Amino acid sequence: MNTQHALDTFVEETGGWVASQLEACTRCGICAEACHFYEATGNPEFAPVWKVELLKRTYEQRFTLSGKAKLALGVEKRITDADIAAWSKIVYEACTMCNKCAMVCPMGIQLGPIIHDVRTAMSNAGVVPEDLMAAVNKQVQEGSPLGATQSVWEQRMEWIADEWEVEIPTDVKGADTLVVFTSIEIMKFPENIAAIAKILHKGGEKWTVSSKGREVVNFGFYEGNSARTKLFMKRLFDAAVELGVKRLMVTECGHAYDALRWTAANIMDVPAGLEIVHIAGVLGDYVRTGRIKLKKGAFDEGTVTFHDACKIQRRGSHIKEPREILKILAPNSFKEMSPSREQSICCGGGGGIIAIKEADPLRYAVFELKMDQLKNIGATTVTMTCSNCRLQFTDSVEHFHLDVKVRGLSQMVADALE
Amino acid sequence: MDWKGTLEFARGPFFEVALIVFVGGMAYRLMRVVLLGWSRDRVPSKGSKLKGVVISFLKGIVIWPFVPWVKNTFGKKPVMYLAGGLFHFGLFVIIFLGTPHMLVWKSLTGYGWTTLPLPVVDWLAAVTIVAMAALFINRLVDPVLKLITGPAEWLNWLFVFLPMVSGYAMTHHLISPYEMLFSLHMIAVNVMLIWIPFSRISHFMFYFFSKTIHGAQFGKRAVTP
Amino acid sequence: MSEETMYQHLRREGVTRRDFVKICGLLAGAMGLNTFPPLRSSGLPQSLAGEPNPGSLVARALASKPRVPVLWLEFQDCAGCSEALTRSQSPTLIDLVLSKISVEYHETLSAASGFQLEENKMEIMKKYAGKYLLVVEGSVPTGAPEYCFIGGRSAEELLLEAAKGAAAVIATGNCATFGGIPKAKPNPTGAKGVSEIVRDKPVVNISGCPAIPEVFTGTLAHFIVFGALPELDRLNRPLAFYGNTIHDRCLRRAFYEAGKFALSFDDEGARKGWCLYKLGCKGPTTYNACASMKWDGGLSFPVQSGHPCLGCSEPNFWDGGGFYQGQSTPLSKPTLTALGVAAAAGAVVGAAVAATNRSTKKHVTIE
Repeated sequence: MNTQHALDTFVEETGGWVASQLEACTRCGICAEACHFYEATGNPEFAPVWKVELLKRTYEQRFTLSGKAKLALGVEKRITDADIAAWSKIVYEACTMCNKCAMVCPMGIQLGPIIHDVRTAMSNAGVVPEDLMAAVNKQVQEGSPLGATQSVWEQRMEWIADEWEVEIPTDVKGADTLVVFTSIEIMKFPENIAAIAKILHKGGEKWTVSSKGREVVNFGFYEGNSARTKLFMKRLFDAAVELGVKRLMVTECGHAYDALRWTAANIMDVPAGLEIVHIAGVLGDYVRTGRIKLKKGAFDEGTVTFHDACKIQRRGSHIKEPREILKILAPNSFKEMSPSREQSICCGGGGGIIAIKEADPLRYAVFELKMDQLKNIGATTVTMTCSNCRLQFTDSVEHFHLDVKVRGLSQMVADALE
Repeated sequence: MDWKGTLEFARGPFFEVALIVFVGGMAYRLMRVVLLGWSRDRVPSKGSKLKGVVISFLKGIVIWPFVPWVKNTFGKKPVMYLAGGLFHFGLFVIIFLGTPHMLVWKSLTGYGWTTLPLPVVDWLAAVTIVAMAALFINRLVDPVLKLITGPAEWLNWLFVFLPMVSGYAMTHHLISPYEMLFSLHMIAVNVMLIWIPFSRISHFMFYFFSKTIHGAQFGKRAVTP
Repeated sequence: MSEETMYQHLRREGVTRRDFVKICGLLAGAMGLNTFPPLRSSGLPQSLAGEPNPGSLVARALASKPRVPVLWLEFQDCAGCSEALTRSQSPTLIDLVLSKISVEYHETLSAASGFQLEENKMEIMKKYAGKYLLVVEGSVPTGAPEYCFIGGRSAEELLLEAAKGAAAVIATGNCATFGGIPKAKPNPTGAKGVSEIVRDKPVVNISGCPAIPEVFTGTLAHFIVFGALPELDRLNRPLAFYGNTIHDRCLRRAFYEAGKFALSFDDEGARKGWCLYKLGCKGPTTYNACASMKWDGGLSFPVQSGHPCLGCSEPNFWDGGGFYQGQSTPLSKPTLTALGVAAAAGAVVGAAVAATNRSTKKHVTIE
């Protein structure tokens, strides 16, 4: 553990953007009320404002005259190894960076991104949950945190194409769109890949996958590590350049969209003119423009609801598209959860938490909030556009013995294609 | 105790110094933060950042209970909403629409304006004081607040509470002589003025930064803040 | 100086017994005598303690006491307080009291002058040592005594000398009580009020600019009737007259509460008689009897006539922030230049700290 590295990271990442927001905090504590981890456990240490405490302390102790004085006089204490260890646990296992806290803060402070900055410091200090770090290292070495090495990936893709009788164009130079799947889909939800392939063909898309840029998931982003975040994205950008595509499509993954679409340009060189899109947006686009036609009422049974993924809906804007699609697929059975849309409650599996065994109890605790939401409307089916959410829902539904079907939206669309 | 002399001092040189420290302190605080470095946002926007900023600031003003964003934010903590909201509302009305305070602004800026009748402002002041008491108690019992509250937060509360109650006592001539209450009020106000730039009470200045960043971040992603 | 009682004197002057009793009632009312000071301490004989009402008490007292000698000294003054007294509209009341005092020395009013008058004064001081009343009008220049020399002697010297043998000292008018206009910034003469100079004796302050004649005579009457000074406030002003602020007795108070203010002289609000708070009325912090007893025999007072109260019975009213500046406004405020300098200084320090911080950020190394 290198605590000084953490403190130095805090210093390095605190510019006007972070500092003005740290100064804006009035210690009102309302952010806690929006945090599903606090709501599920009642543990005040999970309050978002507390999660960024070490960053705030470092800022005050290093950048303000009064903070420096208080430190010198002994009124304030130095940040210790124990502090770093304790906070590492909190920011990695009790936060999914869903950014709901930013929506309730009366000052509008962007706590999600700032907590991400805290993770960066923890990563530089070398204090990251073992499970997560193992997955990161796997991705560095093998190209995927879930064991989808080059050969495994090729095998799976071949099997999917065969099993579902779809064509999956690979390494096609001059295609319009580079589609990058998640290893969650590859290893756990292969039917999703088949579904997306089917839709893209029906929509007349000139697309391809890349054997080199084959993993859209970014565990460096979960870790908060700048170098690794960039490394994993570079693999995709290089592939995009090599294949000469116009756009890069993120399939059903949330944080990858956040990283590629909303973060990459600020931390690295991105290929000029390369558009980043998400399958949720593409589906909506296809339906609106009539590129695909859907069977009306194809899923009109029971009560169907949609779970808004934090990084695709609240932080990605694709709120309308899924609802337009579900209006066609389940016009009579669709019901909104409350709250939903940009106010949606996080599934609890994002931010890398689902990879950390130690965090399972917390993960299940926050899922109880989603359960209540489902129960309140009597949902029989819940659909979503993020594989990580799907993994969390699938696992937790089983854990709690819930009688709810968990579906991916792309799959529903593929099944309802006319 | 020479309250007349104290009053002259508190309304005179002490106030002058307090105002100078306030202005200098706020300038210091602003520059120290603003000049810490900003980076350009190279991520292409999907929606309008400006629209997001406008809505972000509207969120701060449109605060009626039936508004959805209010329900979502404060639904679980009505105390914060009621007490915090009433406190701020009362504060603004007292400082800007109370006749004695308007005259202070007039003497400082040269501009005066119509004010509200005394009983209205007075009643609101009582509500504000009760709201502050509620906030105080809340900060003592709420588990999150207990964790994040330090001496600075208590002083923030105290240095705003004292001007409130001394002003209220003054209006009602609760204790004689009047010069004593007036002196205490002015001393409390001066202490507050000096304290503001070096505390989180200056959030009224950083509000504009955080709200703009908030609006821009959401507007960029075409999501309603 | 005769030894006849006040009643006898009055009868001789043609005041009927009935009128005398009526006047005493008025006087008692003017003194605010609805509750008596403890009779024993008043020095009145037990026989008078059984009087049924204040009016008769005063009557009895005046009927049985001889006239009190008074020395009236003027220093840095405008003689306004004397003028107000002598020009008062209720001659019978004032005259009643004035005739109960024998003004043995008054610079403005005495017919005699020069060394003759000064000699007379020294004689009176010797003859009635310990018994005479010293009334002082005007402030005393202690910083530049040359501004007030009478008969070759400084005001301060004259004051201390006269105060030594006085039974009581009454300072009348803001100048004598608190230093008044001569004390206004920059106070070139080092003007001081009487109580800052006379330390060993009680000084009653009848402040005001001028002092309300009825207040002066009411206080005097109290001394004459009870042989003691009335209850005083923290500034040694008689509580009976200075116990309430103008604000608390003002006829326009309802408009203050309702938020109806005159915004300029002769505007609609002014003509409707609305509150003058926004025109700088100092009523809330001014203690005097103007709003209750009023001036010119109860005719009117500044606010009633449409002008904001100047606060003339309060110390340093002349430096109290300007007559038309709100009573709540600060007494001094930083100039725009001062604020500009403060902002610039703060900004410079802030920029310096920010620069240091940026340098810290740049030189931080993380592998």
